[in-house]
Amino acid sequence: MSVEMNTSNVLEGFSSRAATFTADLDQALWINLVLSIVLFISVVAPMLYFAWKYRASNVKDENIENITHHTGLEITWTVVPTLMLAVFFWYGYTTMKTLRTMPDASDAITVKVEGSKWKWRYEYPANSNGYVHKLGGAFTKPVQDENGKIIEKGTMDKSALYVPVGTNVILEMTAPLGDVLHSFFVPAFRMKEDVVPGRLTKQWFKADKVGEFDVECAEYCGTDHSYMYSRIVVLPKAEYEAWFNSNADTPKGNYAKGGDAVLQRHGCKSCHAVTTEKLLIGPSLKTRTLTKEQVLDVINNGQNKLGYAMGAMPAGLAKGTDAQEIAAYVAGGLKGTQPASFAACSSCHGEDGKGQYGTAPSLVSYDATLLGHVLKHGKKGMIGTMPEFPYVSDEEVSAMAEYLNGTK
Amino acid sequence: MSKSYFDETHCAFGHPKSTFMQWMLTIDHKRIGIMYAVVMFTFFFVAVAAALTMRFELFAPGQQFIDAHTFNQAFTLHGVVMVFLFIIPGIPAVFGNIVMPLMIGAKDVSFPRLNWFTFWLYIVGCLVALSSLFNFSIADGSLVFNFADTGWTFYAPYSLNTDTNVVTTLVAAFILGMASILTGLNFLVTIHRLRAPGMDFFKMPLFVWGIYATAWIQLLATPVVGITLVLALLEKYFGIGIFDPAKGGDPVLFQHLFWIYSHPAVYLMILPAFGIMSEIIPAFSRREIFGYRTIALSSAAIAGVGYLVWGHHLFTSGMSDIAKVMFSFLTFFVAIPTGIKFYDWIATMYKGKIVLDTPMLWALGTIITFAIGGLSGVTIAMVGSDIHLQDTYYTIAHFHYAMLGGVVFLFFAGIHYWFPLVFGKMYSEVQAKLAFYVLFIGFNFLWFPMFIAGYLGMPRRYFDYLPEFQIYHQISFWGAIIFVTGLIYMFYVLIQGMRNGKPTTPNPWNATTLEWHLPSSPPPLENHTKVPYVDFRPYEYHHGQPVVKFDENMKRID
Repeated sequence: MSVEMNTSNVLEGFSSRAATFTADLDQALWINLVLSIVLFISVVAPMLYFAWKYRASNVKDENIENITHHTGLEITWTVVPTLMLAVFFWYGYTTMKTLRTMPDASDAITVKVEGSKWKWRYEYPANSNGYVHKLGGAFTKPVQDENGKIIEKGTMDKSALYVPVGTNVILEMTAPLGDVLHSFFVPAFRMKEDVVPGRLTKQWFKADKVGEFDVECAEYCGTDHSYMYSRIVVLPKAEYEAWFNSNADTPKGNYAKGGDAVLQRHGCKSCHAVTTEKLLIGPSLKTRTLTKEQVLDVINNGQNKLGYAMGAMPAGLAKGTDAQEIAAYVAGGLKGTQPASFAACSSCHGEDGKGQYGTAPSLVSYDATLLGHVLKHGKKGMIGTMPEFPYVSDEEVSAMAEYLNGTK
Repeated sequence: MSKSYFDETHCAFGHPKSTFMQWMLTIDHKRIGIMYAVVMFTFFFVAVAAALTMRFELFAPGQQFIDAHTFNQAFTLHGVVMVFLFIIPGIPAVFGNIVMPLMIGAKDVSFPRLNWFTFWLYIVGCLVALSSLFNFSIADGSLVFNFADTGWTFYAPYSLNTDTNVVTTLVAAFILGMASILTGLNFLVTIHRLRAPGMDFFKMPLFVWGIYATAWIQLLATPVVGITLVLALLEKYFGIGIFDPAKGGDPVLFQHLFWIYSHPAVYLMILPAFGIMSEIIPAFSRREIFGYRTIALSSAAIAGVGYLVWGHHLFTSGMSDIAKVMFSFLTFFVAIPTGIKFYDWIATMYKGKIVLDTPMLWALGTIITFAIGGLSGVTIAMVGSDIHLQDTYYTIAHFHYAMLGGVVFLFFAGIHYWFPLVFGKMYSEVQAKLAFYVLFIGFNFLWFPMFIAGYLGMPRRYFDYLPEFQIYHQISFWGAIIFVTGLIYMFYVLIQGMRNGKPTTPNPWNATTLEWHLPSSPPPLENHTKVPYVDFRPYEYHHGQPVVKFDENMKRID
């Protein structure tokens, strides 16, 4: 049995009880709700009744009674609510015990969780081949048009914590030194615990349902706090085992190739602009001045040229072949692949859009607006006539503009 | 026409001729209270504006008006202004000043010059807090603010790492804390030393009990937050390594220190508000209050137990499980005296004569909203449920029901109750009641959906959210629009009343406590003509009429 990968940014699975302790917790919340309503009515109902029964027009002054004590009543409304509170405490205590009593490590998969601005990463124990799976990464934010309409939903893509159903999973969580607090919150499992730099905190769960469940960061951690999502994907045991003992990136296949995908997976885009020269937290990567070695040096050793702690680039955010790939991509000026829609253009303007030495104008300095205008209306120039392409879409224009920009 | 405190005043020094300077230098407790009110409600509207900005942004998923960074500054501004500038000084600074000395038959507080100094210290704190708002730049045609983006809780290590202007906000919180300590000290001495002869502690009005319990919290708990803020500053600028794990510090320690103050501060806000409730309920039921002693002592009990429950803010912080259980257990002990107070108030209405004037409407409305706020607090005092609900909109809804629907609503109740005392005029009852209904309805539409959104997993301090939460955010938005409309209308009605209201007699509500036995309305500079002798309980009624009456020389005449 295989699970369809769900890539929309919709909170998955809250309404289903997905972990073994969820039912206990919901029961505690329901008991609390019912007793709270009883207490609420015990205050508000007599209030409303008295306000109506003893309304000024209904009471003669001489009928007012100055009652100031009633021992029986006072004992009742002290003791009964106290007993109810004892019930609340008890349910709070027992559910906490279930949530906080870690299973035996030999009977559980222990996954290391690292929360950092603004991504979750997971490291599994070595599999039978000695290979260590490292997963996770940043959430791709939704894309909006200029009117604020969401044209592309945000997605976790394949980055997730993959676990087998019906198995204890212990999360050993921490954040890098120099980072800030985060909190690993899984609404569908009703569980949450802070992730503290320099400390190891733990949570556990046993999912009893195959499916996908969202993870949210619940402790405020800065600009992209509200995009620090991740996802727990619960797989049938066999499917999980097959993946775990392979070297495949994820059970859903390998990660997308290409520099952009690697940048996304490592969360580089949370701090660095890639398609524009805007300064976010760190400098834009759309630079053509660095060599591959220089980029690698920054990735490996970090850098702090902005002079404040949050502006520092931490060392070692990406390692190995990923680091190599990022360095090559950034040093290469982030050249994208040629969009299909450019095929017709290239016959005159050349594969690189530079105009084939005067056959046609060079397009590399055209931005999307200009490109779109010329495409839709055509142009008559010194060299020849540019025909109209009125059916070209905005997306195609922007893809072409981006490509041309990269070939400068 | 006798002279009122609006016509003449004592000054901290000198005898200035201009009315303006007389207000700036005044040491009269009533004038200082009014000045606090003016400044505080100005800031209140600043914070409301920040909140409304957030509601606009959250109307739809994605980015609409402001970016994430500005949003983070907006909720920090909202929290800092509401907590440190508005609700902590809050009722004590306004009604503690205006009414408390009148209630105990004093001419002023014990240290009027210190009171004047405290007010100006508070103003300095406010200016420092907001100074970084003006440190903005213009980039790409939009304003870029450099206000702190830490949230009002300043959690380490974020507050130590961020490049925004945390220092002014921390210093401001420190200065405001100092002002709070001095207010508490002044009130403690006043209540101990300046009570009218014969008035022992159990003859004090319950509002004075509320102020008294609060003053102890101000005096004893506030220094802890002062120390914490200084440590944070030392950490940030000298790297002493108390909270930074890279240097062997502990970020969770900051949370402990912060909440050791900030949790008792919650009771510092609510206890005087409960005091207002205890004044209004008997006055508008035209009968003696039920269980005077239990209400008085429960204030003291809440203040005491309140020191021991800070850990319930840390149930998911990585604190030890044993500590979680103990803090949860202790937290329930706050709920018991609070519950008892509520039953006492309800019992006070039994066989009374309920006059539904505006102050009483506010008080009864608050019983509903605060009951929801209090009971939802019980849910998150349960460790297990808090693990799910901590840092979600459920918590947000809870403390807004308790703080806005409890403290601020009772603040409004107090404003409507003591308005004729302060100004000697009356607002329009019909319009003020209408404002109450608008606010009450808007309030519930604004906050109730958040309980559900929070239960379903909507985390707090999110600039953007998943699409299925949209419906809750949109209901909240419309609630916010109704609520803000109600707020503006209410203040319009009050200002109209202040300008053109009908003159009132000194005791328009038929209330019993000493502040309603002044010789003229508004009261003269030094309050009662003579210090009365108090050998009666504060809420004595007979057949719906106050038992105790005084002649013009404060001698009892019945």
